[in-house]
Amino acid sequence: MRIDMRWLSEALNQSSSIKQVTNKTILLGRDSVPIGDLFNISDKNFSESVVLENSNNNMDYIGSHLQANLKIKVEGDSGHFTGSELAGGKLKIKGNTLNYTASNMKKGVIKVNGNCGDYAGGASVGRKKGMSGGTLVVHGNTGDFTGDLMRRGTIMVEGNIGDYCASRMIAGTITNLGTIGKQVGVGMRRGTLLLPHKPEDMSTGFRDCGRHNLGFLTLLLHELRRHEGRFQSLHPMRRRVQLYEGDMAVGGQAEMLIWIG
Amino acid sequence: MIINGVLIDDTFSEAFSMRATRIIITAINYKWARHAAETMTGFATSVIGCKVEAGIEKLIGNHETPDGRPGVSVLLFATDSKTLEKQLQTRIGQCVLTCPTTAVFSGMEGDPEKQIALGKNLRYFGDGHQNSKVIGGKRFWRIPVMDGEFLCEETTGYQSAIGGGNILVMARSISQALLACEAAIDSISMQPNIILPFPGGGVRSGSKVGSKYKFLNASTNHPFCPTLKGEPDSVLDKNIEAVMEIVIDGLTKEDVFNAMHLGIEAVCDLGKSQGIEKITGGNYGGKLGQHHFHLREIMHESYNRYI
Repeated sequence: MRIDMRWLSEALNQSSSIKQVTNKTILLGRDSVPIGDLFNISDKNFSESVVLENSNNNMDYIGSHLQANLKIKVEGDSGHFTGSELAGGKLKIKGNTLNYTASNMKKGVIKVNGNCGDYAGGASVGRKKGMSGGTLVVHGNTGDFTGDLMRRGTIMVEGNIGDYCASRMIAGTITNLGTIGKQVGVGMRRGTLLLPHKPEDMSTGFRDCGRHNLGFLTLLLHELRRHEGRFQSLHPMRRRVQLYEGDMAVGGQAEMLIWIG
Repeated sequence: MIINGVLIDDTFSEAFSMRATRIIITAINYKWARHAAETMTGFATSVIGCKVEAGIEKLIGNHETPDGRPGVSVLLFATDSKTLEKQLQTRIGQCVLTCPTTAVFSGMEGDPEKQIALGKNLRYFGDGHQNSKVIGGKRFWRIPVMDGEFLCEETTGYQSAIGGGNILVMARSISQALLACEAAIDSISMQPNIILPFPGGGVRSGSKVGSKYKFLNASTNHPFCPTLKGEPDSVLDKNIEAVMEIVIDGLTKEDVFNAMHLGIEAVCDLGKSQGIEKITGGNYGGKLGQHHFHLREIMHESYNRYI
C-alpha cells in the first residue's frame, strides 16, 4: 500500500503547527487516516529541518515541492517521485529511491546515498520538460531514462547509469564515474554528457568532433567538487576531452564529452 | 601646509560621479591576458573623447581566477550604465574575443538589478553554434572560435563610482615633474579599486571646462601652462617649468581619497630638494563635479608626521 507524502512538504512550506498536521488526513488505500495515527511527529524535530525515520519505499513524493531553506533527511528508503518539483529545498536520502526521483525538479539539491530507479531527473508522464534546475547527486547507480527531457540543472552519478540516458534531453548536464548503458543521448538536442569512458553502444547520431581543452570544464569541476563524494577526486584543472556532437537524428547540438588522460 | 618643503595648496580637487564595472580576463598565460587587457583599455583615457575610462587594476594569480588560469582585472568607468554597457561590449568583442586563448568573467557581483551585458549579446557571434551553461547559478556562454571556445560570463555587475580625482604636481623642470609623477603612480597603482586611465598614469594636457570656441567643451588648462606664465590669469610661479597631472578613478570616495593621499605622499617624499615646488588640485569652481577632495584634509596626518 502506497503512502502519499506530499503532506510533509506542504506542512513545512506553510509552516504548519504540529496540531494542524496531525489532524489532517491522508489516503491509505481506500481509507482516510489522520496523519497523527500513522506518524509520530516530534516537536523537537518538526521545524525547518526534518528527519524522517523508519521510512520505506512505499512512501512516494517525499520532499515534493519543498521550498528554499527547508531540509528533509530521510533515514531509509524512499518511493517514487522523491523530490519531484523540488523548489529550492534540500533533500538527503540515506537509502535508495524508486522511479522519477527529482522529476521536474526546479531548484535545490537532492542527495541519494543509494541507487535511484528509472527516470531520475526526468519528466513525469504528460510533462514536456523534466528537471529544470538544481542538482541531483547519486552516490549509487541510476536506472534507465536518466535525465529524460531534462531542461536544466545537473545530475551527478558516482556509479553506473542505465540505458537511454539523456534521451530527448533539452539542456543541462549529466555526469557519472561508472559505466553507462545503451542508446545514450538518443533524441538529445542540447546539453552536456560528461563521461569517463566512451559508451559501448553509442547512438549513430553522434559525430566525432575531436579532442579539445574546454575552459568551462574547470568551472564545472569546481561546482561538482563542492559536493561530498567521489567527484572530489577529479583534478580541478582537468579539461581535456573527446567531443562528440549529436543527436543528428533530431538536429541536436548536444555534446558528449569523454575524459582523456 | 608645507611637507618636506613642498607646498600643499589650500584647495580641492573636483571629481564627478560615474558608473563602474570590473571584468576578469584570463588566458593561457599573462602575456596573452595582458595583450587583451591592454588592447581593450587603449583609447580609454577620458570620457570626453573616448566615452569610457578604463585601465588594468591588477594581475591575478591562477588560484584567484574562475577558470584557474592567469588573469588581469580591468576596471571601466563611464558616465552612465548604458554607455558603460555599450563600450564594454564593443571592447570585449573587438579586443578580447579576438585575442587568442582568452576568457572573460564578471569581476563585480553587484546588485541583481545592477547588471550589464557581458556575453549576453556577444553570443550571437556564435551564429547559432553557441552554447550556454549555467554553473553555480551563473550563466556562461561558450562561443566556438578558431582556437577552440571563447568562454564568457553572461552579465557583470556595475556600481556607482568616482571619476576624475586628481593632483597637479608643479616642479622646476620636466624631468623632476616626471620623476615625481612616476613615484606617485607607482605608489597609487598598488591600490585595489583604482585606475589611472591616462597614458602611464600621467597627464600633461590638463583641461579646463569650456573654451572660447563654442563647439568645444574642454580646452587646455592655460593658467597651468608654463609657456603662458606671463598671462594675467596664470597661477604658476616664475620657477615652475612643468606641471603634471595624475587623474584617479576609484570605486568609492575612500578609494580615491586614499589614492590621492598615497600619491601626494610619494611626491612629498622626494621633496623640494628634488625640484618639487607645489601640489595643487583641479579646482574648477565647482563647475565640474560634486565630489570635492580637499588636499590639506587628505594630508593632515602626514603633515603631523613630518612636523
